[in-house]
Amino acid sequence: MAWTWFHRLASPPHIYRIAGRLTPWLGWPAAVLIGGGLIGGLVLAPPDYQQGDGFRIIYVHAPSAWMSLMVYTTMAVAAAIGLIWRMKVAHAVAASCAPIGASFTFAALVTGSLWGAPMWGTYWQWDPRLTSELILLFLYLGYMGLRSAFDDVQRADRVSAVLAVVGVVNVPIIHYSVVWWNSLHQAPSVMRLGAPTMPPSMLVPLLMMLLGFTLFFGALLLVRLRGEVLSRERSASWIREALHP
Amino acid sequence: MKAFLDMGGYAAYVWPSYALTLTVMVLNIVGARRLLKRSRKDALRRLMIGGTES
Repeated sequence: MAWTWFHRLASPPHIYRIAGRLTPWLGWPAAVLIGGGLIGGLVLAPPDYQQGDGFRIIYVHAPSAWMSLMVYTTMAVAAAIGLIWRMKVAHAVAASCAPIGASFTFAALVTGSLWGAPMWGTYWQWDPRLTSELILLFLYLGYMGLRSAFDDVQRADRVSAVLAVVGVVNVPIIHYSVVWWNSLHQAPSVMRLGAPTMPPSMLVPLLMMLLGFTLFFGALLLVRLRGEVLSRERSASWIREALHP
Repeated sequence: MKAFLDMGGYAAYVWPSYALTLTVMVLNIVGARRLLKRSRKDALRRLMIGGTES
């Protein structure tokens, strides 16, 4: 009995329909939260006592970095589910994650570099946090490159899934790099045990951005997933049903 | 307003960071929509060619 909903959930027509219906419910709250977070972060939050207004880069850097890790984890879990249960939809989820994650990893690296220049006096340093984040970008790019090397989608799914699953070891390395090794990068101020180390006027816009980016990822994932599911589908009857309601 | 744009002397670092991140977000929206549109078009073409139920 418990399996019927699972199979229904995983059936392509159902995914296609539900994803379409769900997208605005994630997209609009994301837009509101990000808009509010931008105003809060750029205007309402006071300047930092050490970094002045330069600290405001956190409101785009931290959410981008959070996305880079969260999207990769989602991708690896979906890839593992696809490998273990041979679920096409799970592979489609993993494939949808990669370009989103890669782009935000790039944003995290560049905004971090722009933050590092005035604060650390350097745009780049072969530091554990920075290096492991760069490896994450290469993992995403490798995953995408590997997929595009196969004409057969199912083979691309299986082979790229192995890379995604193996690469997930990098995620905890990135997260704990600032704890395990001596790093230029500061330790976490929000994603830590115990209370965050920021006053509410700085913290609230950051939390809005983090949640907003997460919902934005959800909306993007759903749109991409519909495309992926549709492109894998060979059953004429449901394509007709999906495209001509 | 000028003080806001100046970002306490950090304008050259703050604004490019925001501009890049927003660009990445917009490109993600455009890219996702384009993927869906292309998949729809390809699926319709398969319908035209095949036409048979499978």
